Amino acid sequence: MNTVILNWVTFVYFGAAVFYFIHMLREGEFWGKAATVTAFAGIAAQTIALVVRWVESYRMGIGHIPLSNLYESLIFFAWAVMLLYLIMEWRIKNRSAGTFVTPFAFLLMSYASISPNISGQIQPLIPALQSNWLTSHVITCFMGYASFAIAAGLGFMYLVKGDDGAPQKDPAPFFRRYLPARDALDELIYQCASLGFIFLTLGIITGAVWAHYAWGRYWGWDPKETWSLITWLVYAAMLHSRYVRGWRGKQMAVMALVGLACVLVTYLGVNYLPGLHSYIQS
Amino acid sequence: MEKGSKHSAAEGKNAIWSFFASVRLTIVLLIVIAVSSILGTIIPQQEEAQRIMRELPPGLVSTLQSLQLFDMYHSVWFLLMMALLAVNLTVCSVNRFPRTWKIFQAARSGGAVRRFEGDTADRVFTAGGTPVQVAEGLERIIRRKFGKVRRVEERGVITLHGEKGVFSYFGVYVIHFSILVVLAGAIFGSLSGFDGYVNIPEGGTIDTVKLRGGQGTKKLDFTVRCDRFTVEFYDNGMPREFRSDLSFLRDGKVVQEGPLRVNHPIEFGGIRFYQASYGNQPGTALLTVQDGRGAKKLLKISAGDQFELPGRKATVSVLRIEENLMNMGPAVKVGVVSEEGGTAFWVFRHIREIEEANPGITKQVPQFNPGLFKPYLFSLGGIESAYFTGLQVNTDPSVPIVAAGAFLMVAGFMIVFLFSHRRIWVRLEEKDGKSRISIAGRCNRDPVGLSRDMDAIAAGERK
Repeated sequence: MNTVILNWVTFVYFGAAVFYFIHMLREGEFWGKAATVTAFAGIAAQTIALVVRWVESYRMGIGHIPLSNLYESLIFFAWAVMLLYLIMEWRIKNRSAGTFVTPFAFLLMSYASISPNISGQIQPLIPALQSNWLTSHVITCFMGYASFAIAAGLGFMYLVKGDDGAPQKDPAPFFRRYLPARDALDELIYQCASLGFIFLTLGIITGAVWAHYAWGRYWGWDPKETWSLITWLVYAAMLHSRYVRGWRGKQMAVMALVGLACVLVTYLGVNYLPGLHSYIQS
Repeated sequence: MEKGSKHSAAEGKNAIWSFFASVRLTIVLLIVIAVSSILGTIIPQQEEAQRIMRELPPGLVSTLQSLQLFDMYHSVWFLLMMALLAVNLTVCSVNRFPRTWKIFQAARSGGAVRRFEGDTADRVFTAGGTPVQVAEGLERIIRRKFGKVRRVEERGVITLHGEKGVFSYFGVYVIHFSILVVLAGAIFGSLSGFDGYVNIPEGGTIDTVKLRGGQGTKKLDFTVRCDRFTVEFYDNGMPREFRSDLSFLRDGKVVQEGPLRVNHPIEFGGIRFYQASYGNQPGTALLTVQDGRGAKKLLKISAGDQFELPGRKATVSVLRIEENLMNMGPAVKVGVVSEEGGTAFWVFRHIREIEEANPGITKQVPQFNPGLFKPYLFSLGGIESAYFTGLQVNTDPSVPIVAAGAFLMVAGFMIVFLFSHRRIWVRLEEKDGKSRISIAGRCNRDPVGLSRDMDAIAAGERK
């Protein structure tokens, strides 16, 4: 039941991404509204599916929050990306980032639905995951990942945007006109990266507390732990670079993309390294 | 917020100080530490390194060893980078603090009330009523938003000034300090306490644990007994629970007992025990020995046991107990030593089936013949396997320090990202019997929040 809804949500997000793209091409208010409404419908349906999945797990007698395996984490990742994006759209009253962010949520959802290695079935919790820290650890980590994903989308926009200073005489490419000013993008990248940084810090701290109870140490240089630290250091460098003269803008945008690459290694890449966090081991 | 490392007020201070006072150095260190940390996630570390070392060419191994890359997170060069970062953090903070303090003091003394003259207004509008009348309402709104209002009146011009969130400048120092606390805690933790592990068979008792990193053993001043180990499974075969029922004994008396489960450690005598792993070890076997006359003797044996054969001067040693030898089921290897010499052979539980499937096997492979030592015939009744539980055993006195550091870090982030230093000036002048109101605002971050404050003030007056 829940996976049926979630498969549909995948298509809804695809629709939203297409509408945002058309909105970018034609700049019509109609397509913008259509995109926002579609995205909103998608996240509403996804929220319902998550609740249904949660309830279903209790019916099966193995009740737990749907945050326990790769499938559920991908779904939650996409949900968090859409949630934060829609909050941002509402706050800044600008839809341009939708073209770059919604496809990412769509990709996460379709990876979860299509990959033959990922089972959408509700599975019980293995002993290591039976902890009160599961919820807070996973939520903080993935809210962080989602903020970083949006920061990277904005960073990509910044690089596409090109120079503001350039005279507008020759008809600028459509996306240059459509995208927000570089200063505004820079500020947004900073805000998203800061938010992600707070969430990642909380995620690392809750993870350390959990590790203390589960494995008897709060830090053990497990590949996932190490990569989360690498990610943290990259964003720390990025946020500090704002205080060095001349490091605004382009450097921030590039760092936002490098940061997301680190996030993806932390999330998925480390599964191919030996460690305690692996989603692959049963 | 102040920016730039260049005007770091380092006049008169030496070159080393200004080197460490640079934010550029911070960024370089953060990136270098991040990049070098990747190495440790690719190269196997510590215990795992032992395995890989044999497969690599010796030249490469010695190169990697000399760079301490098989234990890089504890290597001298990695710790040195962490130390440099700590110094950098400290110097930067100390260097910046006086300026922050000045800003804080200025805000408290209200010296900035008249600064508006030089600034351009962000909102300008007119309202009915004289400046004095209008100022009264505005003062209320500002007081509600900013907590406190300062008012200056000069030649008919009233300036109201509100300021809040100056303390948010201190958040960054809290974060930097918290990182130092965490680092100090981690160093303290690695120097104190211990980190060990132990396997206890069901029913077994231990008083010594092995230390990680091959650093020998540690004797506990009490004993631990594993009364029972259980694994429960879900219907789909996934494990549901690993549980060791432990008893802690002092002078032979049980002082504390309880179930140890994953995620639920037990503390006893200042030492924490964690359910880390488990395993199966073949425990006891039921062996029957039949002599030439048909007399049977049933024996319960475990590996390492020795017994005499009835009616003959021969000693049997139980060499191995296997639950499933070469996919042929349970088997026990026994060695028999007599005056004629020694022999060893396997006793299979399912020898009859094995012979049926492979006729003549006991002739071809004499070691599989349970009657090899004539005239005795051995048979195996079965094997009772026993679980052993694997415990992680340690103490880490640094936990409260690191936890305090983490708590401080979160508090610091709250201060930095939830609050901002906002200042607002409202100037009222009389114009044609009405009041001309100009509002200006400044903030160190969160211009959206400031803009909302100004809107609220403007909206409040227009009503």
